[in-house]
Amino acid sequence: MSDGPINIRDLAVGTTVVLLSGAEAEIVDNPKDGVWLFARYLKSPHDPDLVGAEEMIFAQDVVDTRS
Amino acid sequence: MAMNGTQGYRSGLVDLETGQISREIFVNDDIYAQEQERVFARSWLFVGHESQIPKPGDYFVSRMGEESVILCRDRAGTVHVFLNSCRHRGMKVCRYDDGNTAVFTCPYHGWSYGTDGKLVGVPYFREAYHSELDKSQWGLVEVAQLCVYKGMVWANWDASAPPFLEYLGEFRRFLDLILDGWDGREGQAELLGGVQKWLIPCNWKFPAENFSGDSYHNISHRSVDLVGVGPSGKSRRDYGELNVAKKLHVAIPDRGHQTITYLLPKDHLPQPSYQNNPEVAEYFRHCEEERRKRPGPNARLIGAPGEIFPNVALLPRQPRTLAVWHPKSAHQTEVWRFFFVDRDAPQVVKNFLRDYYIRYSGPAGMTEQDDMENWNYAHAASRGVIARRHPYTYEMGLGHAVEDFEFEGYRMPGRVIDITQIQSSEEPMRNLYGRWAQFMEADSWDQLMTWRKSSAPRELAAAK
Repeated sequence: MSDGPINIRDLAVGTTVVLLSGAEAEIVDNPKDGVWLFARYLKSPHDPDLVGAEEMIFAQDVVDTRS
Repeated sequence: MAMNGTQGYRSGLVDLETGQISREIFVNDDIYAQEQERVFARSWLFVGHESQIPKPGDYFVSRMGEESVILCRDRAGTVHVFLNSCRHRGMKVCRYDDGNTAVFTCPYHGWSYGTDGKLVGVPYFREAYHSELDKSQWGLVEVAQLCVYKGMVWANWDASAPPFLEYLGEFRRFLDLILDGWDGREGQAELLGGVQKWLIPCNWKFPAENFSGDSYHNISHRSVDLVGVGPSGKSRRDYGELNVAKKLHVAIPDRGHQTITYLLPKDHLPQPSYQNNPEVAEYFRHCEEERRKRPGPNARLIGAPGEIFPNVALLPRQPRTLAVWHPKSAHQTEVWRFFFVDRDAPQVVKNFLRDYYIRYSGPAGMTEQDDMENWNYAHAASRGVIARRHPYTYEMGLGHAVEDFEFEGYRMPGRVIDITQIQSSEEPMRNLYGRWAQFMEADSWDQLMTWRKSSAPRELAAAK
């Protein structure tokens, strides 16, 4: 987990983000409003149905990134 | 001139029989509050121009009355106008003047909306809302009606209002003078540069009245005329054609729109204009020749100051500009001024006009400064308890308008006063305030669409 809040405005398309729930998602678009990312779920241990789905990801849900 | 509840506008505060109007309608805070509901929430208002949002995701933050709105083009290319206020707690979802975006995100709690207005992002939707919030019910508030006319975007909050072109009525030809090309081709206008915005300490009706066709205040601009800010270095405009044209006050009584216009005689040749630059002068000479060859009513018209009810002012010719008088309070108005050119005009023409436009109009424009000084001091001097007891007079030319004005085969619509010789009248102002009073008293658009009732018998007769 990252040491502090992640500035999601700086995250590039293609970056994988780790979410508070333990899910991982790949960024497909970044509106750079600092609040939301558009991402596709790669892993979702608590809700496997989400894998492959594209959703908006809230900044405060992003706890880490993987390059 | 007492006011009885919401009644008494036409019978007291606005007395068109004597031509007297109370100062209360300019300085009274309660009347101002009622205007927001009765005038601005029901009228067609100018929001912006399509050339400001050419690409999907483009937006321009505008105003309708006191309220902030977003004019935007969604990803499918459709134009929308939304209230700039989050449905959750009301925070503005867009705080820039213009730009391009995929979403409008509220910075307060993070609700996010697509450019089509749909609510697409709700933080902790699954967790805190248990996926129970019906997002389809909580999109941005969209205007009830929208019309894109020759690139101009107009909007209305009232679903029962008539369509925009019906609202405009016979005034359409005067609006076309600003939107069509100098050579008469349809819808050639594009915005030149940005929008000038500034605050003035007066009620919005002072400038609205002035631009309705106040030809009486030209003495205010005497110094500008003497300096010669015009495009030929003389006066403030080119006046060559005006020596032979009819100068008219035209008022469309059931709509509240009015203007000055100049009506040329048949077969009149273009006069020299824009003489400060030979290339620009030749361009306009050619355009004027072409315009005269085109069919339709506008080939013989020269545009002049006019007003579309309630708060949009036109100056179709010199300078070619449009102003919106946004109400901020009874005592403050935010002016937005838009400048237009033909989109395919040579760059040298656009540059020449830019210099002329800002020399004339806007917060630093010499003519506009004259106007603002008048409005601002008139407002301030009308707020006191003694001043409020004494109405303004609008009786100039009262009873002298005609409804069948014709000149060399050109039939002018509306109520007309020929001011070629008499210089001025106050028919346009009476028309503005008459319509204003109707709006303030009417409870619904059914009462305001008087033309539908009056045209019914004629239509019935024609059907027989």
